[in-house]
Amino acid sequence: MVIEVRLYATLRRYRPSIPNGVFTADVPDGISIAELAHKLEIDPDEIHMIMVNGIGRETDGILADGDRVGLFPAVGGG
Amino acid sequence: MALLAEGKMPERYQRNLGTVGIAGQIRLLKSRVAIVGAGGLGGTVIELLARLGVGHLRIIDGDTFAVHNLNRQLMSTEHNIGVNKAYAAASRVEIINHDVQTEAVPCMLDAENAEKLLNGVDVVVDALDNVSTRLLVNKITQQYGIPLVYAAIAGFTGQVMTIMPGDIGLERIYKQTNAAEKGVETMLGNPAGTPALAASLQVQEVVKVLTGIGEPLRNKLLYFDTEMNIFEILTLT
Repeated sequence: MVIEVRLYATLRRYRPSIPNGVFTADVPDGISIAELAHKLEIDPDEIHMIMVNGIGRETDGILADGDRVGLFPAVGGG
Repeated sequence: MALLAEGKMPERYQRNLGTVGIAGQIRLLKSRVAIVGAGGLGGTVIELLARLGVGHLRIIDGDTFAVHNLNRQLMSTEHNIGVNKAYAAASRVEIINHDVQTEAVPCMLDAENAEKLLNGVDVVVDALDNVSTRLLVNKITQQYGIPLVYAAIAGFTGQVMTIMPGDIGLERIYKQTNAAEKGVETMLGNPAGTPALAASLQVQEVVKVLTGIGEPLRNKLLYFDTEMNIFEILTLT
């Protein structure tokens, strides 16, 4: 199935050829978000917040065809 | 206040009339807000709340100004490097709005003083720069039923949310299993526009909470990234 991945802030450096961090990925049916991060070779410790179609999800959440997955690092400055 | 009681807006608040109205202005003047942090976010929050006429500001910050604050911290000047940030902010408020009372608390918020410092106010503003104190503030404000207006920034990104008693909290935004105290701001820093933008949004949230006007960002995180023109409202679950 095909999903859209959006890497936010510093996570965009995992795809340096894609400046806005948005790309589609072909993934197996029933893949979890954790498995997706592993497939994309993103350090799971860097992912603090996950949004699927704009709604918060946990790392064990299962993705569906056409999902828009946003991966966010920790933002803590003030 | 006398003019307001007669249904007239004092000249200094006339440009508030069309949004908060007389009733809203009275509420702002009677409100007490604690701002935890008087740095990047806090400095701008304090300036704007003072101009709006929020009657009592408790400003909590144990830090002093350093040269590297000058790029973005509104209360820092070339003449107050080394001065406590809470005192400096209180001095600034004194010259921009004499209607506003300030309480400068020149110490860091911690587990020992949090209950005392966060009580007796109508709203708490999180203008902190580390995760563990943010989580502490979230916990104490929930315990005491006080609305909390949160924001955090890094580089070109920022995020803002209002957490009312019982709402989803910061545990959905920060993984607590991680020992990290700071986020990606350690890599990206903070240019002037970012704290100003996030702080302005926090001020709007405070106004909504205090006056009851509009819809606070509850259980929703406003996320912006001005590098990539991203402005999103994300739903927390």
